[in-house]
Amino acid sequence: MADSATMQDTEFHKADSGASTTFPMQCSSLRKNGHVVLKGRPCKIVEMSTSKTGKHGHAKVHMVGIDIFNGKKYEDICPSTHNMDVPNVTRLDYQVDGYMSLLKDNGDQKEDLKLPTNDLGKEIQSKFEAGDSFMVSNTPFALCWECTTSGICKGQCIERRSLSGK
Amino acid sequence: MAAPGPPEVITQLESAAKVLMAPPSMVSPEQRQHAEHIFLSFRKSKSPFAVCKHILETSKVDYVLFQAATAVMEAVVREWVLLEKSSIESLRTFLLTYVLQRPNLQKYVREQVLLAVAVIVKRGSLDKSINCKSIFQEVGQLITSGNPTIQTLACSILMALLGEFSSSSKTSSIGLSMEFHGSCKRVFQEEDLKQIFMLTVEVLQEFSRQDNLNAQMSSVFQKYLALANQVLSWNFLPPNLGRHYMAMLESTQNVTLKPTESWREALLDTRVMDLFFTVHRKIREDSDMAQDSLQCLAQLASMHGPVFPDESAQVSYLAHLVEGLLSMINGIEMEDSEAVGISNIISNMISMFPRSVLTALPSDLFTSFINCLTLLTCSFGRSAALEEVLDKDDMVYMEAYDRLLEAWLTLVQDDEHFPRGCFVQSAVQVFNGYIQCHLAAPDGTRNLSGNGVTSTEDEEIHEIQEDDRELFSDQLASIGTLGRVAADHCIPLLTSLLEDRVTRLHGQLQRTQQHLMAASDPATVDRKVLDDLYEDIHWLLLVSGCLLADDPQGETPLIPAEVMDFSISHSTEVDINTTLQIMGSPGEKASSIPGFDRTDTVVRLLSAVLRTSEVESRATRASLTTLLSPQMGKDIVWFLRRWAKTYLLVDEKLYQQVSIPLVTAFGADTEGAQWIVGYLLEKVISNLSVWSSEPELANDTVELLVTLVERRERANMVVQCENWWNLAKQFASRSPPLHLLSSSVQRNLMKALVLGGFAHMDADTKQQYWAEVLHPLQQRFLNLINQENFAQISQETAVRQEITATLEALCGIAEATQIDNVAALFSFLMEFLSSCIGLMEVYRNTPETINLIIEVFVEVAHKQICYLGEVKSMRLYEACLTLLQVYSKNNMGRRRGESTAEEDQYQDLLLIMELLTNLLSKEFIDFSDTDEVFRGQDQGTGTTTRPVSAADVVLYGVNIVLPLMSQDLLKFPSLCNQYYKLITFICEIFPEKIPQLPEELFKSLMFSLELGMTSMSSEVSQLCLEALSPLAEQCAKNQDKESPLFIATRHFLKLVFDMLVLQKHSMEMTVAAGEALYTLVCLHQVEYSELVEALLASQRDAVIYQRLADAFNKLSASSTPPTMDRKQKVAFLKSLEEFVSNVGGLLCVK
Repeated sequence: MADSATMQDTEFHKADSGASTTFPMQCSSLRKNGHVVLKGRPCKIVEMSTSKTGKHGHAKVHMVGIDIFNGKKYEDICPSTHNMDVPNVTRLDYQVDGYMSLLKDNGDQKEDLKLPTNDLGKEIQSKFEAGDSFMVSNTPFALCWECTTSGICKGQCIERRSLSGK
Repeated sequence: MAAPGPPEVITQLESAAKVLMAPPSMVSPEQRQHAEHIFLSFRKSKSPFAVCKHILETSKVDYVLFQAATAVMEAVVREWVLLEKSSIESLRTFLLTYVLQRPNLQKYVREQVLLAVAVIVKRGSLDKSINCKSIFQEVGQLITSGNPTIQTLACSILMALLGEFSSSSKTSSIGLSMEFHGSCKRVFQEEDLKQIFMLTVEVLQEFSRQDNLNAQMSSVFQKYLALANQVLSWNFLPPNLGRHYMAMLESTQNVTLKPTESWREALLDTRVMDLFFTVHRKIREDSDMAQDSLQCLAQLASMHGPVFPDESAQVSYLAHLVEGLLSMINGIEMEDSEAVGISNIISNMISMFPRSVLTALPSDLFTSFINCLTLLTCSFGRSAALEEVLDKDDMVYMEAYDRLLEAWLTLVQDDEHFPRGCFVQSAVQVFNGYIQCHLAAPDGTRNLSGNGVTSTEDEEIHEIQEDDRELFSDQLASIGTLGRVAADHCIPLLTSLLEDRVTRLHGQLQRTQQHLMAASDPATVDRKVLDDLYEDIHWLLLVSGCLLADDPQGETPLIPAEVMDFSISHSTEVDINTTLQIMGSPGEKASSIPGFDRTDTVVRLLSAVLRTSEVESRATRASLTTLLSPQMGKDIVWFLRRWAKTYLLVDEKLYQQVSIPLVTAFGADTEGAQWIVGYLLEKVISNLSVWSSEPELANDTVELLVTLVERRERANMVVQCENWWNLAKQFASRSPPLHLLSSSVQRNLMKALVLGGFAHMDADTKQQYWAEVLHPLQQRFLNLINQENFAQISQETAVRQEITATLEALCGIAEATQIDNVAALFSFLMEFLSSCIGLMEVYRNTPETINLIIEVFVEVAHKQICYLGEVKSMRLYEACLTLLQVYSKNNMGRRRGESTAEEDQYQDLLLIMELLTNLLSKEFIDFSDTDEVFRGQDQGTGTTTRPVSAADVVLYGVNIVLPLMSQDLLKFPSLCNQYYKLITFICEIFPEKIPQLPEELFKSLMFSLELGMTSMSSEVSQLCLEALSPLAEQCAKNQDKESPLFIATRHFLKLVFDMLVLQKHSMEMTVAAGEALYTLVCLHQVEYSELVEALLASQRDAVIYQRLADAFNKLSASSTPPTMDRKQKVAFLKSLEEFVSNVGGLLCVK
């Protein structure tokens, strides 16, 4: 079976060519702590409840999600039979051991991830210059979502909380 | 502080009062504190009587007057023994005169001065030095003055006395023993209370005679009526205190009237009762006063006890009450505010008077009463329905209706005392009334407001809102019971109504379908007609379900005798074949089958529900699901489940006589039963796919499935259905629609599939079944986790879903454990448990998965440990220990949310404690018979040495949990209870391990015990007390007088001693505390003697000293010398009980 990093690269290219990084799921089968796209943003579901209009009405699901990248809160309500988009969130951890050159878990080099130009990028760079070896995570979902339009990674796909020393 | 003269004191107090009364923005907190301090020290000053008198006479500041009155009261109590009796007397006179002369005093000042008077009177009643009687003469004179202001004042004095003598929460603390409070109360209720009552009755009589009452007089009237209510609600203390002494003094909720014998003359005088009826008639339009007058009558209706010399006195009292009530109700138009009061009178009457007294009433009177009750119930029911339409906040009629339905339940539940059939007509009327209120027009009046307009408003209903079947469960239970009483009328009525509504629903759905085909826009569908039909069917199903069957917990549900009798009584006119044909043709209208009127109506009612179900199913097949009501779907499966539990495969042995139609239709080994099982299964499968988006409906559906397989006889039939196998395969393949279901539904589905696997099948079939159900689960799981890169893909959505589904399924499998399948299930689950531990590593940053993994262990331990023999238990202990080790490793340095975090942040801790408690429960509940259920599986392994014991696992776990349990966490009730349950179990089961604990751990355990004993709920406190005996016994075995445990127990001796002797506590606590005390006394005899000596030495009163000394001697004599011997312990406990009821009240001070 193909190893995960290769799979991830494949998804990345697929995304590049405009393919979807989400899949549909019946609203009622979403779970708290799972993921869903709310108002166009990939979110982790932190609250879910159901209600109905009138005693003989059908169930509607009320969801509150936190954007997995920027931490903003989004809400939505929809009939429980409807399909919602679920982002294909896969967290991959890379060990950073060279400028622009990432060592994957399996030993391969990953060189197509450009260093973000924001504060997070600076943080990575300074850590690197201090001689630290550390982990950085990204998710293919966000690479496609945020970065494909500009062609370079803006860093939103890199989770700050996963930037940890090793 | 040098004693300042009165004028300075006044100035100082008045300026302090100004500070206290100032708005917060004007003064600093320090200034406020200082002002408070001035008043506090003023109240503590020695003999402040002269100063206070001066203040009361000269100051113009109300707050200062109030404080002066308080100071007088406190000082009198404090310095009582030092004061001249005459000066107390004159003080009391002064205070009374003071208020009499100042009619314009602020109310709170006046009440405080009168409180001081009442406290003096009560304190004085102890030494008999003060003539209490004089106060009643004085008050009597005030009342006869005819001056409304003075009369009001007299009423306030009496109220204050009542409050002081009641020894309830209203009573002031005066630093005297509970025994004193108790004996004061007893003396008071024998004479003074009666005198107050007579005075009150006189006043009420006077007022009720007058035609025109002005506002001022009616306000006085109202006050005396409230006073009468207080007297009639008096919590009479019985002459012999007995063991419930303390509890009696405290409880004041819903007191029924149980006066002592001496009240006989006063209360059995019919004029007293007549007076309250008269009073009510006079003031019933004033809703405030009417509450009091009706409450007085309700108290009179609850009267019982020694006040009645014999049963005939009770009969004539009740007869008089009923007559009074009937003439009060008849011929008036009831006020809204009277409904609850009147229902209370009736409900008290029916619950307090013995059946023999009710049946001894003159039969005319009894009949009129029942008729009146019937009319009243129907009328309250209608008004309650109106209240619902108007969405009123204050549902007085609903409350009254509930109360009366409860009373009916009490009446008809033991109707063998009454003439046969005497309630049938009433039951018919109440039942009809209920149905009418719940059906739409034209048959019913649902949603019709007073002027006949229908109101329909679709409101948003949140999931936390209870379903009607829970919200109205009491009403439905009463109506169901009344329906059984009048089964001849009610069962056919329900059947025809339901058949009619289903036919209409069928037609309406067909018309809507045609409309949709023509217009194709679903938005143009008018749902009004459909919703009305759904609501009708909803209520008909709920009532039918409650009429046909009960829902007992843990008992075998039986067909109600009335339903059985009804079916038997008609069985000769019934054509069984037609009955079966109708039941088996849910697709047809019953009336389209020839001979339909010669069928069994109980079966017909079920058939009508099956037809409802069929119409629903056909609509889903015609893609009309969006038009259907999920609520009705729930009602259908709810009914079918309730019905199946009681009727499906009815066991003839359980009944004296059975109905042939019922047994033929769904008895054991009948085609009917097999057909129904098949039908229900089909329904379940269809629902789980059609309604996967309706969580509650899916839940109810899967509950029906569990019901079908949880009894072996039914399961045997279920597994013969091909559908069942399809369901199993479909679930195992984890494909839509079943994998869309919520986790609780999936768990239950797994449980049902496992339970079904233990039905009767031949060996090959059985093997094949497990290969379909369990093996795919194992295979998929192993394939996934054995992938080389599992750690990397573990966070992928699909992988996580698969893992979650597997863990949920494992919980479901554990839940299916029964004694006869535990061997197979245990072996199966054990293979998973070690893999689960591996997952703990992989998912260490995913709390929800971690929790689910621990939950699997919790469920396995919970359901299986009690059946496991030594070898199997060991394997489980080992697995749990490894789990805990991994958990502990990963938990180190883990940060949790802020202190404001919610309880579910600590779900893992709760689960770990649950797991440990479950492991310990083996010591209490053990059904295993040295691996009896595993016979043949463990040959040769029984002799291996014990590698891990339960104690090892649990103590290891406690090592993890204890440091995390902060006092903040103990504020969460679930964590607190689970924690104390756990540590108590440990102390009880492994006391020998406690001294071996590391020092820090030992200390925090002891601190937890002390905290639990002294500042938690009584339940927790009791648990901690129970933990002490085994610890003390452990010390006794060890004989190490230096050990930390020995020292700790010495501290606990003092705590328990104080608790038992000095503090108020409930009776249940005395037992737990007594056992603890005894073992601690055995261990620390010298310290115990010292405690007793110290307590005795602190007594100043020689009489009390002697009584206490005697009581302690008697207590010690019950076991000399105290030894840890069961017999002695029992003797000690018995004499401790005596000790507590004898002198317990002496030391407990209020």
